[in-house]
Amino acid sequence: MEDFWYEVVEVSQSIADGLLFGSTYALIGIGFTLIFGAMGKLNMAYAAAALGGAYAGLAGFVLIKAPLVLVFGISAIATAALGYAIYFTCFRFIPVNNHLASLMASVGALFFIDEVVVHVTRGSPLTFPSMFGDVYFELGPYGIRGDLVFVFIIGLISTGVLLYILFRTRLGLATRAVAQQDIAARLCGIGVHSTNSVTFAIAGVLGGIAGAMTAAAVGVLSPVMTVPLTVKGIIVAVIGGLGSIPGAIIAGLFVGGFENVILYFRGIDERDMYVVALLFVFLVFRPNGLFGTAITRD
Amino acid sequence: MHLCRSMFRLNVKEEIKIMKKLFRGVSVGLLGCALMFSALTSSAERSVKVLGWGAQSGPLKSFGVNSETALRSAVAEINAAGGVKLGDGSMVPIEVIGYEDSACKKDQNIAILRKTASTTDAIVGMGTTCSGSCQAMFGVLQKKVGDASDSGLQMPILADTCIRPGLAKISEWAFRNVPNEIAMYDALFAWLSQQHPDIKTFSGGTETDQGHSFITHTAVIVQAAIKHGFDWVGPAVPELGPKVKQGMKELQAAAKTQHWLMGDTNYSVQARKIKKQNPDMILVSSHPFSACGFLKEIKRQRVKPKLLVGLTSSASQETLNGCMKEAEGIIIPTGFAPITAQAQKANTIVTKAGGFLDLHSAAAWENAYLVKAAVEAAGITAKSETLAEDRAKFRDALATITAIDGLIGPVTRDTATGEASKPYVFVQVVDGKWKVIHDPRG
Amino acid sequence: MDYYLNLINTIGIHTLLGLSAYLLLLTGQVSLAQAGFFGIGAYTAAIVTVIFEWSILSAIGAAMLVSGGVAFLVGFPALRVRGLMLVVATLAFSEFARMFFYNLKWRVVRDGAEIGPDGTMGFAEIRYFNNNGWLNWEVTIFLWVFVAVVMALIWWSDQTRIGAVLRAVGEDELAANSTGINVTVVKVAAMTAGGIVAGLAGSLYAHQVTDLDHHTFTVLLATFAIAYPILGGLSNVFGTLIAVLFIQGLLVEGLRFLGDWRMLLFGALIIVAMNIKPLGLFDNQTIRILRKALGVKRQRDSV
Repeated sequence: MEDFWYEVVEVSQSIADGLLFGSTYALIGIGFTLIFGAMGKLNMAYAAAALGGAYAGLAGFVLIKAPLVLVFGISAIATAALGYAIYFTCFRFIPVNNHLASLMASVGALFFIDEVVVHVTRGSPLTFPSMFGDVYFELGPYGIRGDLVFVFIIGLISTGVLLYILFRTRLGLATRAVAQQDIAARLCGIGVHSTNSVTFAIAGVLGGIAGAMTAAAVGVLSPVMTVPLTVKGIIVAVIGGLGSIPGAIIAGLFVGGFENVILYFRGIDERDMYVVALLFVFLVFRPNGLFGTAITRD
Repeated sequence: MHLCRSMFRLNVKEEIKIMKKLFRGVSVGLLGCALMFSALTSSAERSVKVLGWGAQSGPLKSFGVNSETALRSAVAEINAAGGVKLGDGSMVPIEVIGYEDSACKKDQNIAILRKTASTTDAIVGMGTTCSGSCQAMFGVLQKKVGDASDSGLQMPILADTCIRPGLAKISEWAFRNVPNEIAMYDALFAWLSQQHPDIKTFSGGTETDQGHSFITHTAVIVQAAIKHGFDWVGPAVPELGPKVKQGMKELQAAAKTQHWLMGDTNYSVQARKIKKQNPDMILVSSHPFSACGFLKEIKRQRVKPKLLVGLTSSASQETLNGCMKEAEGIIIPTGFAPITAQAQKANTIVTKAGGFLDLHSAAAWENAYLVKAAVEAAGITAKSETLAEDRAKFRDALATITAIDGLIGPVTRDTATGEASKPYVFVQVVDGKWKVIHDPRG
Repeated sequence: MDYYLNLINTIGIHTLLGLSAYLLLLTGQVSLAQAGFFGIGAYTAAIVTVIFEWSILSAIGAAMLVSGGVAFLVGFPALRVRGLMLVVATLAFSEFARMFFYNLKWRVVRDGAEIGPDGTMGFAEIRYFNNNGWLNWEVTIFLWVFVAVVMALIWWSDQTRIGAVLRAVGEDELAANSTGINVTVVKVAAMTAGGIVAGLAGSLYAHQVTDLDHHTFTVLLATFAIAYPILGGLSNVFGTLIAVLFIQGLLVEGLRFLGDWRMLLFGALIIVAMNIKPLGLFDNQTIRILRKALGVKRQRDSV
């Protein structure tokens, strides 16, 4: 009987840990979903840009001893700049209906960003400062990481700010207009390119925060993180429903918790297979994801 | 339909004509580049030519950078001292005709190997560090010397590390300057059991998608600790059913071991399981990134083992870069530390040249001297006409060498198994730096 | 010579990989599953020659059969998703296949030594060609016969109704459906054909590199597979070949003299190529320019 309760505690602890960590997946998923919602295209370089921003933030910490808030800020701005550069080089000049060319160009951007990082750091993993890294709440048999709670809260705040921008400002209105029907938007005097580049930049801000948060949560930054985060971000965006921000949030948290529980029961060899199987289940039974599309394209 | 097709599709005959011209042009261009390359790489002056390769792009970039720096520095030292003696008695320099980027990818390693073998005068290929790549490269070589039915490549390879059991027997043309992890960990736990009688129990984890980490953990480290009296703790994991039924001791240990992947970002489940086991000693058989991720997590969860033991490959600067604080106290057996005059001198030279000497790149340095020893024993002519014979002679000489002077002691080789045995020391992270805490060399 | 033969082999294998994605792209399906089929073909062929010790032809045949079979099974659920979702679904399939190889353990003892796939340690010593005394040029010819046959088959089908049907489905499924084309059959057939070709490529790859492990069959390989037909353009099979020459010949091998700038240039050049030629390096504009430059006159010009 005691064993059973022990198991219950362990499983719920795993879920809690996974949920909190899942907020990093959620933010990256939001980034993918935002760009898809706005342009109908996939930006494969998004996670790479997020990590690139995290490296920029780390540079701030190492070189000028920036306080952590500033590190996050630098990461956000750096990824926003990277996001704009990616838009300019991979999406701006390629015809709107040509999805493949942009996809391939953004893959090229992924390679490029990763290689720049490798060049500067010689591929070495680097320690990343964490906010509230020593805080650890112990509630009975449970232990909750303070820094993960912080990550979760920041995630909530960022999403709130994003939703505010999208639904309560003119910029957000323009973004949604361009996403829905760009010709009509243009007729209304909304500049498509300038709006899209701002969308990429905003997604970049989220990405930079996500990258810095992920790095802070692990404690280490390394170029090996890029591909797994890209795959996970895309899976989260799809499960949540491409174009849906609330969907990406819920999916991110869910995937985080799910993979941790699977890890607890089935071990590492099967963990990722179950995540992929989860994706297949969604694609078969609910191809539009949890919430379908909130920002839709005609 | 026909009109559309005529507008957008060429007449078949015309397309074929264009294709032929295009292919001719492209192949002439490629051939031209190739000829230029081979012209550039063969120099007029006589020298013993070698070509090196390693990862100079991608996450393992430090391997290639450090190994290249070590190799070139060692060769410069040899040349400054007069060079190597050929069969006819003349002294010539060793020439590193190039150092290529193989990115630790099998295809690229094989391509560079074939390039070295067929377009250059190098008598030996000196690459690489990654064991998976070595496994592939050795596979394209001729398995047994003189076997006419085997069309494999006849080119000696001298790899600077490639830690993985059993690679030497893939081919007689393949050599590695690799530490003997079985001996190292055996000695380590023997010493630890004497030094720390208070430590009874141990547990640990490994990255399962990296061949070296995984096999060393399950077949070497855990077994060595058990052999020297440490108790492996941890609940049995019943769902590994069929694997455990195989009855192999290492699989049983593996069944209780914590597992993660080398790119993982979340180690909370594994850390908590270890916390529950409450071992005195924790093994972390993992390369720097995931080792650091795991170490940071167990620190967060207030797990305080009395001792930490790591994987040989993590006795490097990268671990300090990744988690200097959390790695404090970790003990690793390694094949290099600046504890002899030669080692210190080499360390100074390589550091000035922009690299780091650790157990991987120190092997690259030593390999230059191994090349010198083999060349002088082989009596080669270093002329392009006799390239094939020179390579065969070099290989034969290399196969008979049973000992050379390594940087911290003699490196010996067992001619029967083809595996090397190197001297080692135990290092520990003390105040953020690697410090030698025990020197078991005679 | 050996180096160039090796490069030609690599180009041949990657061309097959690219063509397997090309077939799917024609029907409008952007598939990242080719890496998975490639891996299935590679492991199947290696198991046949190493564990069963059968000939290379039976290994290639088995690889094509197994990969084709799996592709056929994948083709049906793939119908339910389109566009970006298909990209993600096929990416997930490739990842699933890769995890399967990561777990695959089948060890047998031959001549006192253990051989066979060993999970994360990989599958070493796939030495059929060397053990049977095949010379390098013999392997190259053997390999390229397959490549040439596949290219010829696809080329030929493009001249006939088959090609038109594939492209019709790719252009507009609704319109194709209303002209009586069974879209389901076409799309599943394309997926199966793509699987067969990728399996063929994998079987040749396994024996070329003699060693397999799960690290090879990643998302990045899948991306390379569709990069070739996207970069090369969908006008004809030679576009894919040109793209493979560009990436494997020029970017990976030809730029070695740039040292560590090579990989930086890699990503940058792909971006540049896609901006300058979004329809592929070998699109109609290129063909027109080449025609002018090489002085080949079109019979219809005089009309």
